[in-house]
Amino acid sequence: MSRRRAPLAVLAIGVVTAATLTVIASSGQVPAATAATTTFTASADTYVDNSATGTNYGTSGQLGVDNSPIKRMFLKFTVSGVSGTVSGVKLRVHTDDVSGAASPAGGSFRAMTDTTWSETGVTWNNQPAIDGVTLGTLGSVVRNTWYEVDVTSHVKANGTFSFGVTSSNSDGSDYDSRETGATAPQLVVTTGTTPTTTTTPPSGDPVLVGAGDISNSGSGDSATAALLDNIPGTVFTTGDNVYNDGTAAEFANYYNPTWGRHKARTRPSPGNHDYHTSGATGYYDYFGSLAGPSGQGYYSYDLGNWHIVSLNSNISMAAGSAQEQWLRADLAASGKPCTAAYWHHPLFTSGANHAPSTSTRPLFQALYDNNADVVLFGHNHHYERFAPQNPSGGLDTTRGIRTFVAGMGGASHYSFGTIRANSEVRNSDTYGVLKLTLHSNSFDWQFVPEAGKTFTDSGTTACH
Amino acid sequence: MTTRTRLLITALAAVLLAVFAVGYTALSTSKQPDAITSSTVSGPRLMVLGNGRLSTVPRSDPSGPREVTEQRCDRAYTAAGTTSCLRPVGAFKAGELAVLDSGLREVRTVPLTGFPNRTRVSPSGRMVAWTLFVDGHSYAANGFSTSTGILDTKADTLVTSLEEFTATVDGEVVTAVDRNFWGVTFTADDNRFYATMSTGTHRYLMEGDFADRTLRSIADNVECPSLSPDGKRIAYKAAVNRDPQQGWRLSTMDLGTRVITPLAETRSVDDQPTWLDQDTIGYGMQRSDGLNDVWAVPADGTGTPAVLVPEANSPAPIG
Repeated sequence: MSRRRAPLAVLAIGVVTAATLTVIASSGQVPAATAATTTFTASADTYVDNSATGTNYGTSGQLGVDNSPIKRMFLKFTVSGVSGTVSGVKLRVHTDDVSGAASPAGGSFRAMTDTTWSETGVTWNNQPAIDGVTLGTLGSVVRNTWYEVDVTSHVKANGTFSFGVTSSNSDGSDYDSRETGATAPQLVVTTGTTPTTTTTPPSGDPVLVGAGDISNSGSGDSATAALLDNIPGTVFTTGDNVYNDGTAAEFANYYNPTWGRHKARTRPSPGNHDYHTSGATGYYDYFGSLAGPSGQGYYSYDLGNWHIVSLNSNISMAAGSAQEQWLRADLAASGKPCTAAYWHHPLFTSGANHAPSTSTRPLFQALYDNNADVVLFGHNHHYERFAPQNPSGGLDTTRGIRTFVAGMGGASHYSFGTIRANSEVRNSDTYGVLKLTLHSNSFDWQFVPEAGKTFTDSGTTACH
Repeated sequence: MTTRTRLLITALAAVLLAVFAVGYTALSTSKQPDAITSSTVSGPRLMVLGNGRLSTVPRSDPSGPREVTEQRCDRAYTAAGTTSCLRPVGAFKAGELAVLDSGLREVRTVPLTGFPNRTRVSPSGRMVAWTLFVDGHSYAANGFSTSTGILDTKADTLVTSLEEFTATVDGEVVTAVDRNFWGVTFTADDNRFYATMSTGTHRYLMEGDFADRTLRSIADNVECPSLSPDGKRIAYKAAVNRDPQQGWRLSTMDLGTRVITPLAETRSVDDQPTWLDQDTIGYGMQRSDGLNDVWAVPADGTGTPAVLVPEANSPAPIG
C-alpha cells in the first residue's frame, strides 16, 4: 500500500498527533522533567526498492522496508547542541496509517558509516552501504504506532548519524517519513545534564576560534568580532582578512576596529585578497610576528596537547617545495598527539564560486601522512563541514582528516554548487565563528552564529 | 474541565478523525496504483538535476518518485532528445561539455575550463550553448569573467567564445576588454539567439546571428534571457534598480512591444529561467543549506510562486 498524495498525508498527521498525545497522557508516561531530553527529527530519509532500481523516493511521505521486493530504509540525523554525557538515545519510527503498513517483522536497524548520502539522490543502484552493527530489530509492528530502537551505542555525542533498515520478511512494513511532519522519524537524546547553548567551554581545555573572509566596509565583521569578545582562546583566520586588496589602510580601517580587538591572541593565515598587495606587505606589516616569519606565511605553534600549523596557499605548495618540506619536518618534530592546520584555499568545498584548490593537495597529503586530525579553510564565503577524508576525497573513518570551510567571517555570502561527496553540513546565510575546543585526545567543534541568527553546528571527533 | 474530561475529548476527537481518515485513505488508495508499479516515469516529464544527477520527474507529480540516472552534471538542459551536460570539475579532471543523445549516451565532449553556470539547447536539439565562470569568479565577487560558447552539433562548428563575434551596441562596434557574455537562448531557426553582454555598468540583451558571427544590442538590464516556446517573449532576470548587488527580479519582456512584466516572485533569483510551458516560468532557488528547489510562477505577473520539484535545479520540459 502506498500513500503518496498530499491531502492524505495532511489528514494522517492530524490523527496521529492527537492519538499519540492521548495515549501518552492517559498512560501517565509524560516525563517528569524533559530538560535532559532533546528530540531531533530526521534530516534526511528515503528508501530504495530493487523492483525500481533507478527510482528515488526521497520526497515520499512513506518509508518501506521489505524483502520482496527488497526495500531498504535510510535515515539520517544531525545531532547538535547537546552537552553533557549522553546517557541514552532512542530512534523512534512511526508506522504508516494504512493496513499494509503492518508486518510480522519491523526490520533490523543498523549503523552506517556513510553520513553524506542525499535524500533525493539515493536509488537501489547507488545506495550507500549498510555496513555497521545491528543496533536493534523490531518484531511485529501494527499500523499507526510509534516504535523505538535503542541506538545509544551508535550516537555518543553531537554529529551526523546514519541508519539503514533491512528486513528478511517478505511481508514488509511502512513507516512515515519526515515529509509527514508530526510522525517523522525521531532521535531522542537523553543526557545526564541539561542541554545548554553556552559558549563557555565546560572544561579548561584550549580553544581555537575564528573564521576567514572577514573585514570590509560592511557590518559582518563587527558581528563576528562581537562573538570573539565572549570567547576566550586563540583566534585563527583562514585568509582574506581584509577586502578588497590587503592594503595597510584596509587593515587600519576595517580589520583593526573589529577583529583587531583580539589581535594579540590572533594567529592568522593569508588569503588571495591579502596578496592583492604585492608580497602581502599590508598583512605582514599589520600582524608582525603573529603571522610567523615575515613574507613566508607559514608557521606553527602548540596549544595543550595540540600542534597547530598555519599555512600559506598563495605560494608554492608543490611536493618538494620549501613550504611542503618545512611542513613535513615540522610535523615529524611535533610530538603532540593531535594536529590541526589551516589555510585559505579549500581542497574540499561545494562552493559555487571557487572550485576545490587541487594545488593544496601536497600540504594535505603531508598532514595525512602525519596523522593530522582537522584542517580549516576559507575562500568560499560560507560554512561547510566535511566528514573525515583522505587526500583524494574518499571517506576515511580511520585516518581521514575532518575539514571545514569557515569563510563566514563577515565579508559576504556565496552560494553552493553541486554538493560534493562527504559534505555533511552547510550554511550560506549566517556569519559566525568556528570554535574548536581542543581536548587531550579529541576536539569539539561549534559554529557560533552572529547575534539574531540561529544556525549552529556542533560535534566531536577523536584524534587519530 | 478536569484532566480526565480533556483526555476523553481528545480521545474522542482522535477516534473521529481516525475514522474519517481511514475511510478516506481506503477510498483513495484503492484507486491508486502501488508506488512500485507506478515508479517508471513516463508521459510529459521534467528533466532536472537532483544534486548533480540527471533525473526525470513526471509533470503530473513532479514532487513524487523520480528516476535518477548515473549522469553527473553541474548544469544541464534538454530539448528534442539532445541533452547538454556541463560536467563537474573533478579532483583530477577539468570540466567539459558533454552532449548526450536521447538515450543519454555521450556523443560529443568539449573540454572547458571554468565553473559551470548556464547551458541551453535549441528547440530542435541542434545548437548547444554554455556559460562558465572563469577564474572561479561569480557575479557575487568584485569583478568576474565569463566564457560563453556555442556548438552546432550538426555542422560540428564550435565557437569557444562569443567574444570572437562582432558585437554592436546602438550600431557602434564594441571591443572593450571588459566584455562578458552569458546566458544564451536559441530561436527556432537554429541560427539566431539571444544572450547577455556586459560592458561597463551595462548588461545588454543581444540578438546574435550564428552564421554571420554578429551580435547587436536590443535592450539593457537583461540577464540570462530565455525565449518562450512561441518565440515572442523572453523571461530573464532584471537587476533591481539596475544594480546586480541589490539582486534580480524575475521578469518577462514582450520582444515586439518591449513591455516588461515583473513576475510574482519577489525574492532575488539568480538563474536562467525556463519556460515550462507557454504560461509558466521555472527556476531554481537555493536554500541556506545549499540544496535547491525548482519553483514555478506564472509568466504574466499573476499568481504566487510555488515549489514544483523539491531538491532539484536545472529544469527542462521534455516529452
